[in-house]
Amino acid sequence: MNLRVSNYFKRSKKIEIFVNNESLEAYEGECLALVLYINNIKNLRLSPKNKDGRGMFCLMGSCQECVVLIDGMKVTSCNVFIKEGMNIKIGDLDEL
Amino acid sequence: MNYKIKYDVIVIGAGPSGVSAAINCAQKGLQVLIVDSSHNAGGQIYRAPPKSYKHNSEKKLQENKTQEYLSREIEKNNIFTAYNHTVWQVSPGFKVDAFNDISTIQWHAKNIIVATGTYEKIIPFDGWTNPGIIGLAACTVMLKSHHFIPSKKIILAGNGPLLMLVAYYIIEFGGEVEAIIDTSSKFDWIKSTLSLISNPKNFKDGIRWLAKILFNKVPIYSNSMIAKATQYNEYINVKIQNINTGKQESLVTGTLAVGHGLIPSTDITRLLGAKHIYNESKGGWIAKIDDYLRSSLDGLYVTGDGAGISGAIAAKDKGLLASLALLYDEKIIKEKEFKIKTKKIVKRLNKYELFAKAIAKLNSTPPQLLNNIKEETILCRCEDITKKDILKAIDNGAKDLNQLKSWTRFGMGPCQGRTCQYSVAKVVAEELKRKVDDIGYLTGRSPIRPVPLDRAIGEFDYNEITKIEAAPL
Repeated sequence: MNLRVSNYFKRSKKIEIFVNNESLEAYEGECLALVLYINNIKNLRLSPKNKDGRGMFCLMGSCQECVVLIDGMKVTSCNVFIKEGMNIKIGDLDEL
Repeated sequence: MNYKIKYDVIVIGAGPSGVSAAINCAQKGLQVLIVDSSHNAGGQIYRAPPKSYKHNSEKKLQENKTQEYLSREIEKNNIFTAYNHTVWQVSPGFKVDAFNDISTIQWHAKNIIVATGTYEKIIPFDGWTNPGIIGLAACTVMLKSHHFIPSKKIILAGNGPLLMLVAYYIIEFGGEVEAIIDTSSKFDWIKSTLSLISNPKNFKDGIRWLAKILFNKVPIYSNSMIAKATQYNEYINVKIQNINTGKQESLVTGTLAVGHGLIPSTDITRLLGAKHIYNESKGGWIAKIDDYLRSSLDGLYVTGDGAGISGAIAAKDKGLLASLALLYDEKIIKEKEFKIKTKKIVKRLNKYELFAKAIAKLNSTPPQLLNNIKEETILCRCEDITKKDILKAIDNGAKDLNQLKSWTRFGMGPCQGRTCQYSVAKVVAEELKRKVDDIGYLTGRSPIRPVPLDRAIGEFDYNEITKIEAAPL
């Protein structure tokens, strides 16, 4: 099933991004948190104390749960529009 | 873009209320800057789709049309815009600090209009931190602005109109709503009908959503909540519990979206030390405002749902009201104009209040939802603080939220308590048998959003560093 809805909008060109060095196809300018989510990459980081998996939650830049590393910088993936060749690291961000 | 440093007014938040306030000030000749973390106007309710999306046809979602309208209005009225800028600090004076993806910047203005809206209220339950479980409001943004369905099968839980709206869009976009789990009863909805009709446009939308849900035979569990959720790879096992009978049932789904209403964003007004009051039906703590949305501090105005929840239609009028107060205080309009214009607006707003109260009732938090929080349930997601940790601190003598924060680290993580403050306050109030009002609210602390250090430093050359002469020995 296609989780991308095209009733109203056409996506831009297909691009390749890398999540922990693995290739993932998506469309340029899509929201990173959502691209990961619909590709079933939901476990984005570990909570600092219990090391429990966390992922996208509020999708509006408030909860800070969807933080990933891009070029070594912590960013909320819900505010990132993807670009060709983007390198994303997920997992235990403090160890990466 | 090159920004001026000084403006007459800085509006923080480009949702329907902020835009309306900004336009009204600009039309009276003021230099207005509107700041928003998104790449265009619209706020969360009309959030702008990604720039890379192109319209397929003439057919547009109403929400996307409204977004385009707001964006055009800003351009037409020569308002300075700072999109893609996240405000991380506002200090008296006023100075507004924001960062984009390159650096941070500071602007100055005599007047600030805070139009920062709300975030979602989600009452914790066992397993709510599992990745895959998202907010109901997150779902609306995903559907209406990003045009994604979260997964093939979705369970929606919580209360209020958002349940119906999200269900409608999922079905409309070809997804399957496995179940709607609503803490309200069918009778609660019927009781609210009379008040909801007072706002015919929104009421008509509601009927349209409900018709689609009923036509598609979506199972609705009324008087019910999520007792527990467990994640197995890509599936979530959802334990549903009737809040009256305690009867349980389990369903398996791909996405669980939960939301129990909205909480006004008070980050900026708390940071500035404005007075706040607790009003449960308005969403909890809100800045203390007068009839024209003036805060307790000179030059600081609060508008939109951030000034107490009353919905998107009222938001525009609230923006007009706050800006009229500002224009009058700045002696740009005379008392007569102020009185005539505000009278009409206040009358309209009072009418919307009936609708807002009915929605607030549907979004009220039943005690069973709070009783469902187990000792092991995580309350503060950032710092993994459980109800047990909070109870232990109370046992040790903590009596208010700020004490609990320093004793347990709850609310000290990157979200600054936005996600958990409401629930923690409820748990503490219940334990101490005190009113939530008396537990207090977390003191505003800067930065209100995490600032990447390299951007805080910015780009500069060695010779730009101010060198201070050594003090004489």
